[in-house]
Amino acid sequence: MRFVLRLLMSIAVALSVGFGLSYYALTDGRFFGAVSLGPWTAWPDIGSPAPNPYTSGHITRDAALQLGRSEGLQFVASSDSDGAPLDLACSYRVEGRVPVSTFWTLVAVDADWVNLAAPGTDAALRSSEVVRLPNGALRVHVGTRLRPATWLELAGSGPFSLVLTLYDTTALSSFASTAMPSILKEDCA
Amino acid sequence: MIRTLLWLIGGLLLGGIIHIVTILTLPRLSEETTWTRIAQLDARDRMVVLPPIGPGNPNPLRLDPELAYGLCQIDLSQGPAYLSGVLPDAFWSVALFNEAGVVTFSTTNRDGIGQTVDMGIFNAAQTRLLAQQQIDIAEGLLVVESATDNLFALVRLSPPHAAMRARFEAELAEISCGPRD
Repeated sequence: MRFVLRLLMSIAVALSVGFGLSYYALTDGRFFGAVSLGPWTAWPDIGSPAPNPYTSGHITRDAALQLGRSEGLQFVASSDSDGAPLDLACSYRVEGRVPVSTFWTLVAVDADWVNLAAPGTDAALRSSEVVRLPNGALRVHVGTRLRPATWLELAGSGPFSLVLTLYDTTALSSFASTAMPSILKEDCA
Repeated sequence: MIRTLLWLIGGLLLGGIIHIVTILTLPRLSEETTWTRIAQLDARDRMVVLPPIGPGNPNPLRLDPELAYGLCQIDLSQGPAYLSGVLPDAFWSVALFNEAGVVTFSTTNRDGIGQTVDMGIFNAAQTRLLAQQQIDIAEGLLVVESATDNLFALVRLSPPHAAMRARFEAELAEISCGPRD
């Protein structure tokens, strides 16, 4: 009886560790192929001609048109800088500096990658449209409620993610530091 | 107690093996991949401009709504393929993808190409033939060698303003793609 119990426990541990770890490695990916900078996560090997096995699995799972290494890099954030999940009931402020790039875009998407911009507005915010602070840093308001200056107007409810795509960038290259903007929660409905 | 611990360690080791096997076999087992998604676009040897992504629209290929995308599917078993044309004076890039959805080559117009797209895509045998027979290569032609015969090229073009999008997409559609006549 004890043998059967130990066997069952061992199988349960093997299945949960094996598949749980695989799911984590291909979604969140930290400690495997992904790099986290504050709330932002990127897969630096994703545009490489010979990606590592974890990145290959992630590419297959996404089934998307990824950016090549020389084209740019995409960062995704599903939580704010304090670690709380992003929610459309709240307003956020994206503040700070973005790594050197020819230009960048910011979009909000849901879990199925459906764009959450309010109908009739631009689906994405482009770096050239941002009103900068006197010190050159950016401040972008994100949310469903009216905000001053640069505002990425969203619609809907529930959790969401922010996608920051840097084109022709030095981010995560060995010769440039990669400081990403912070995502600060303002208030919630 | 020690025996239970040994069973637990055995479970962890087996879990590690399951994890490695899952990660390594997943790309081969997947039924819906980038390749199957783009195969539905009917883009064999012609540049297809992908429809823009608006708020609320599904976006399975995870396109950036700010950019215009042109896609062309290529089969090198019939001979080398060429991508040529002129694009507007704005940021653009070209990426070649293999059947696994991996970017095997990418470049941007900042790499000194300017506005002209002129790319020859060859497989290993065709590149060897090109070298052996010392065939003259047209000046400015970017020769890219592909490890596989089946691939697709994706051109990303960035209109600086939404008002320019229609003109940019029309110029993107003018890019020729496929074997040279």
